[in-house]
Amino acid sequence: MNKDKRPLLEVKDLTTYFHTEDGLVKAVDGISYEVFPGETLGIVGESGCGKSVNALSIMRLLESNADVGGSISFEGQSLPELSERKMRGIRGNDIAMIFQEPMTALNPVFTVGNQIEEAIILHQNKSQDEAHKMAIDMLRKVGIPEPTKRVDEYPHELSGGMRQRAMIAMALSCNPRVLIADEPTTALDVTIQAQILELMKSLQDEYGMSIIMITHDLGVIAEVADRVVVMYAGKVVEYADAVTLFKNPKHPYTWGLLNAIPRLDIEQDTLYNIPGVVPDPLHFPEGCKFNTRCTFCEERCKKEEPELIEVEKNHYARCFFIEKVEKEKAKTKAGENL
Amino acid sequence: MINQKDKEILLEVKDMVKYFPIRAGVFKRVVAHVKAVDGVNFNVFKGETFGLVGESGCGKTTAGMTLMRLYDATAGKASFKGHGDLLQLKGTALRNMRKDIQMIFQDPYSSLNPRMRVKNIIAEGMLTHNLAKGSEVNDKVADLMQKVGLSTDHMYRFPHEFSGGQRQRIGIARALAVNPDMIVCDEAVSALDVSIQAQVINLLNDIQEEFGLTYIFIAHDLAVVKHISDRIAVMYLGKIVEMTDKHSLFDNPLHPYTKALISAIPIPDPTYDKKRVILEGDVPSPINPPSGCRFHTRCPIAQDICSKEDPVFEEKKDGHFVACHFVE
Repeated sequence: MNKDKRPLLEVKDLTTYFHTEDGLVKAVDGISYEVFPGETLGIVGESGCGKSVNALSIMRLLESNADVGGSISFEGQSLPELSERKMRGIRGNDIAMIFQEPMTALNPVFTVGNQIEEAIILHQNKSQDEAHKMAIDMLRKVGIPEPTKRVDEYPHELSGGMRQRAMIAMALSCNPRVLIADEPTTALDVTIQAQILELMKSLQDEYGMSIIMITHDLGVIAEVADRVVVMYAGKVVEYADAVTLFKNPKHPYTWGLLNAIPRLDIEQDTLYNIPGVVPDPLHFPEGCKFNTRCTFCEERCKKEEPELIEVEKNHYARCFFIEKVEKEKAKTKAGENL
Repeated sequence: MINQKDKEILLEVKDMVKYFPIRAGVFKRVVAHVKAVDGVNFNVFKGETFGLVGESGCGKTTAGMTLMRLYDATAGKASFKGHGDLLQLKGTALRNMRKDIQMIFQDPYSSLNPRMRVKNIIAEGMLTHNLAKGSEVNDKVADLMQKVGLSTDHMYRFPHEFSGGQRQRIGIARALAVNPDMIVCDEAVSALDVSIQAQVINLLNDIQEEFGLTYIFIAHDLAVVKHISDRIAVMYLGKIVEMTDKHSLFDNPLHPYTKALISAIPIPDPTYDKKRVILEGDVPSPINPPSGCRFHTRCPIAQDICSKEDPVFEEKKDGHFVACHFVE
């Protein structure tokens, strides 16, 4: 994509397999994407599609039963090959991450300030005093009122939205090039979610970092992402820029998902039913992983796995029968609704 | 939609209040109250879906639980057709009420007894209320399972053998088993993935039509509530701030909180251009709610009067109720 710019982070054929007692779980099974400087890449999918495992693989935060293959290159360095020491220099410094549940991601026995200072002292060679001042500055930047007082408070003394702000402050304290946000607003109320998304956008403008936004919420993706990766059962099923993906989805899963969500902006009689459930990762179906739930499925889909092909310029989808989706879309448009 | 005046009122809630005491010290003295529900008024018409929406801590779940008598109300009245005041029922009368009002819970994991088989979970209510005997029970359970889209082969399985969406279907079958008039759905689809959520919403719509059910649909997701409800009440800190049919609520919201709430919802369309009202700060604590209008601390149009006087919840247009000093 975007051939004129060089990607900051390039993930190629990434596989993450877990060896479990029940067998091999292919949580991430050959995904590729790039993140360009200053952009927001959205990764969307339902639970169990591998979107979070993908993030943890990049950060090398997985347990020892995980088997990570493929390449992850960040500014020309191959992350999986780095020594643990060098990786530590990147983690939290060049690539930072924020998590879904700020209460479990923050350490309950240290003050918020303490935890922000830790990252600053570790990565930026600052004294305790300087770090403390920087922590207060960061808290102010993320919109926490009375930062000089809040800096000495413990996570439980903050509300959910404040905790998420504190976590963002921590992640941004070292001015990272890439921020991986794993469901950062899922645990928050909508009015607070709006605040946090707005904050992330303004901080991105200020710092020029790239964001990987991982979420199940298509609304959030539409709001923030420049380009979108749709994942299903460990694979990328569709990959395009946000406007194209929402206006002209090619894969039956993306199309179904977009029609399955209740919308505020349009009237719907019934929601589209994607039948069945996400298959168990121990027993993914043969052929196309989506064949058990796809309304357009044919014999071929049960035998062969489709490749991710470029259906239009910079628009990739993994499906044999894209023209069927097109037909269905035309029908839907004619009848206005499903 | 039928004219409001012609509709039959199934449930009439008047000034319902639920405070939870906070105890402290050696003698466990009551030192304060969490004012979870602080005087709510609403009617639910027969056959409609009444949405109750708000952010966490606004009291929407407490309101539902209080109606079901899972909590005892602190004050107020709730007349349900044929049962009198729900909040005063005792003994057999209370038991009989539970046959007519059922509940579906948010978490399909903790709301099903892990040691009971699906058949027994669904049949329990029928047996308690003497609605079926002997072999009839099996037939009825099988029938219900089919209705909610479960395979009857799974009748003797345990809840842990099902996925989240299937468990929610079990919960729905259990609620239907006693042939209720009304079902209170407390965040019934919030824990589910998008594709499964759509399945369950469609199922709820289908069975409503088939059984002529009335729903109180409690949820935080405005898009879901809009999709499923006929009328919607928006709650903030224990009070209803606005209540009307869904079209007027979304096309013409009157309360500043409703406006902010609607504008905060991300629209799954990157080209959608909207003006956003970003609210400052967090929801205040229900232990010590702000004086006057509870929303005044975050309200973009608040004036002096708002911190002094609590606005009256009144009908500003036909069937459109709002509690705000500055609605013209």
